[in-house]
Amino acid sequence: MNENIFTTVCPGCSIACGMYVREKDDGTFDIDWRKDAVVNAGKLCRFGVRLSANLMNATSKVDGNEVEFSDAVTAAGKAISDGATFVSVGNTTCAEHLALMKLAGSKGAVVNTGMGAFSSIPAECHPTMGVGIPFDAIESAKKIILFIDPYEQYPLLVRRILAAKKNGAAVTAVGWKAVSLADDNKTIDPANYESELALDSDSVIIAELNPSTDPERVMVLLNLAKASGAAIMFMKPFVNAVGCDLASKKTEQKSLDQIIAEINDGSIKTLVCLDSDLIEIMPDETAVREALGKLDNLIVITSRTSAITDVAKIVVATEPLYKKAGTIVNAEGRALHNSGEGTDGIDAIGTMLGQPVGMYDEVHAALLATLGIDAVDERVIPAYEKPDYAAMDANPTAEAVETALVYAGGPFLWNGMVDDNDFVEMNLDMVLANSLLKGIPAKITSDAGEAAVKFKVSDVAPGVVLSNVKLPMTTGMVTSVTVSR
Amino acid sequence: MEVGDCYIGWATDEDIRTRGASGGLVTAMLAAALEKGLVEAVVVLKKLGEFEAVPVVTSDPEEVKAAAGSMHSVPIVLSRYLDYGTKVALPAKPCDARSTIEQAKRGQVDIDTTYIVGLNCGGTMHPAVTRDMLDVMYKLDPADIEGEEIDKGKLIFETKDGKEHAIKIDELEEEGYGRRESCQYCDVNIPTMADIACGNWGVIGDLAGKGTFVEINTEKGIEILKNAIDAGAVEITPADDKGKAIRAKVDGAMMNVAAAANKKYLSPIEGSHLDYYMNALSDCINCGACKTVCPVCACGEGAKCTDFSSASDTYKMSLFHLVRFVHLMDSCIGCGQCTDVCPVDIPLTHIYQRFAVPMQEEFEYKPGMDMTTPPFFGVDLIEEGH
Ligand SMILES: Cc1cc2nc3c(=O)[nH]c(=O)nc-3n(C[C@H](O)[C@H](O)[C@H](O)COP(=O)(O)OP(=O)(O)OC[C@H]3O[C@@H](n4cnc5c(N)ncnc54)[C@H](O)[C@@H]3O)c2cc1C
Ligand code: SF4
Repeated sequence: MNENIFTTVCPGCSIACGMYVREKDDGTFDIDWRKDAVVNAGKLCRFGVRLSANLMNATSKVDGNEVEFSDAVTAAGKAISDGATFVSVGNTTCAEHLALMKLAGSKGAVVNTGMGAFSSIPAECHPTMGVGIPFDAIESAKKIILFIDPYEQYPLLVRRILAAKKNGAAVTAVGWKAVSLADDNKTIDPANYESELALDSDSVIIAELNPSTDPERVMVLLNLAKASGAAIMFMKPFVNAVGCDLASKKTEQKSLDQIIAEINDGSIKTLVCLDSDLIEIMPDETAVREALGKLDNLIVITSRTSAITDVAKIVVATEPLYKKAGTIVNAEGRALHNSGEGTDGIDAIGTMLGQPVGMYDEVHAALLATLGIDAVDERVIPAYEKPDYAAMDANPTAEAVETALVYAGGPFLWNGMVDDNDFVEMNLDMVLANSLLKGIPAKITSDAGEAAVKFKVSDVAPGVVLSNVKLPMTTGMVTSVTVSR
Repeated sequence: MEVGDCYIGWATDEDIRTRGASGGLVTAMLAAALEKGLVEAVVVLKKLGEFEAVPVVTSDPEEVKAAAGSMHSVPIVLSRYLDYGTKVALPAKPCDARSTIEQAKRGQVDIDTTYIVGLNCGGTMHPAVTRDMLDVMYKLDPADIEGEEIDKGKLIFETKDGKEHAIKIDELEEEGYGRRESCQYCDVNIPTMADIACGNWGVIGDLAGKGTFVEINTEKGIEILKNAIDAGAVEITPADDKGKAIRAKVDGAMMNVAAAANKKYLSPIEGSHLDYYMNALSDCINCGACKTVCPVCACGEGAKCTDFSSASDTYKMSLFHLVRFVHLMDSCIGCGQCTDVCPVDIPLTHIYQRFAVPMQEEFEYKPGMDMTTPPFFGVDLIEEGH
């Protein structure tokens, strides 16, 4: 038995916890703990621990038939026409993302990272929205405001917040569900954030930015940070979302919703997705599947098998992330280099561009220039400029529904992976009001259908049904529903 | 050569002898075991950095030779990498050796084909703590470190400019640095349960730093040492009484230090036990890392602790841990792996040891010390008439 050991990061979220992957002769792998990793001393959440059970390598395909990698690359090269639309949300290395940008550029297009908020918010805010603060800095904050549930969404932030509490920090959580480590759990009208939260320059705001985030909400939080002088950190669901955003600089970005709308109105005919499964990422799976079915060409360049590889016309299967040569930039802005030397993905994109060799060196040099560094050193975070920005007019949409099914997106949800999380959470009042009984699934009904789901009684806000998995009858991150037995 | 004999030994290869922690005997013995076909594989630590190494199972003697030297900031238990049925040898700190024995009792390791080359151990440090300690206590940049050793109770770092920087371990531990908590109260320093126990205690005179003190514990111990001598990889000389006495004295002193730490850290729980466990486990995120990394857990996927608990439970306390407290009370050796990997920094080893040690004392069973005593939860199938 021989093993190859890769020093890499967990692909589950933008924390990018350090880990080893032990790959055996037969291609199967196990994870192992990298205790000397700079990110979280190699500690991993359930997603990282169970990675090998959930990650399945992709297979190259054309029209549903398995083909050689090179044939898939040739077919993709031919099918990618001028006018194609490109998406890469940040599930792969900066090198592959930059190579795709080159390919897109050659077709007169840009690569969309799917974070629509970047296009609706002034460019001077982008550095603050993109790169967060060092995780160590969370530990020395005096006040922490959570607009996320760290336990479910970003579990490896929990230890940072607990360390801050030990150092005397006060923690307030503003969200759908009470967070047990918070000293105070609140529901606050965004108009009153400033007065009720009383932040200052020793405070840290932790929020999330994902493709479905309402830009107006981001603006409210940016305003709050500006007015108080607090540091703000937008966590992202995708491991290299920050790196891909930095690489993309200020190019005009379409939101994923916009892309789906343009597929539906016929203006997008060819879609190229680099390690970006819109069926998994977008809340309304049925609507996305319907739209993708209207494309002439759906070309997926990916390292793993997922819902989108089943419906793509062409799948170019690349090596898993842990094997790729290249760099990831995590939520802190820290550049982390893989020990792997795989260049399947880069070579594939290079070949489509007519540049089958030398692409890696070129794009890696471009990345270093973007980060302003000579070499990647995981222990030194590059210096990022965060210019001041003007306060904005912001009117976040109120979620005015009586009973709402809300997605609490964690690594399993964003990666469409099944886990021990096939249940919803609601508070005891809702359980009693709807005569739900332990052991009998709750029936959850929306305009789009119904589902019978196990439930758990938790301290969630009145009227909220919280889910960690995607349910078939949802139409958005928040869906109006009724609950019955 | 007989069980109970003590020798001072060293590698005949000058390079291995120099790179080895105290004479390279262990490396030479492991490499010779592979080269002569005594074993098919060896588990060693592949060095990736000054504070970073990853266990590898290798059949390449060169990889074994490259692994010479002790890494005090690599707190990993190697028994987890053993494959049932493979003829294998491993260097083993007492926790590596004890967990191998407990796994063997549960049918996960074939003790007859496993050569346990014991290493005395005074403790390991977590690499992240080592880095902080270098910064705060030694005022050194971790990137400048080129070597490290423990001598006369001091932790000494060598920097690239050839200078040595020493601070007393007691002083470091008072400031919260130094050895991991579980190593501080571990009271097994000499791996008597291994086939052969190797260390630097008791190596005196001209051989100090250039020889390894070896005690033969089993016939397999004789076999692996003789194999290396026959291969010309190792030379030995009988240990003298003075060396033996020094070794026993240092061991005794270390046991006293451990007993004091045991008192400090593992005192009985005061007040409500229910409150203690609820508070201690309140941040558990059900990740399963502690179970996966546990070197004495022999259950695999379909385990009682996971079968009896689910993320959808509304219980205010983790059933997963409650089951594990009971299930591990006759095997928990306090190796510290669960604490090291816990993503929410629950001091799990501390909590598990606080539960297990009183039970182990009650049943007069110390896990992993020998193959003859079955676990107190074990059912003796022969006695039961099966
Ligand atoms: C953490 C640690 C603490 C020790 N403390 C003491 C002590 O207090 N008193 C004493 O007498 N001796 C102690 N030793 C043993 C001593 O350092 C030497 O390992 C021993 O004398 C054998 O020397 P050698 O030159 O023959 O070994 P080498 O030829 O250098 O071979 C060492 C072997 O140990 C393996 N190894 C290195 N680090 C580790 C680790 N962290 N965990 C598991 N395996 C490892 C290597 O892969 C290699 O195979 C300790 C060893 C370690 C690893
Ligand atoms: S999913 Fe995120 S928090 Fe969990 S192990 Fe992976 S990177 Fe760390």
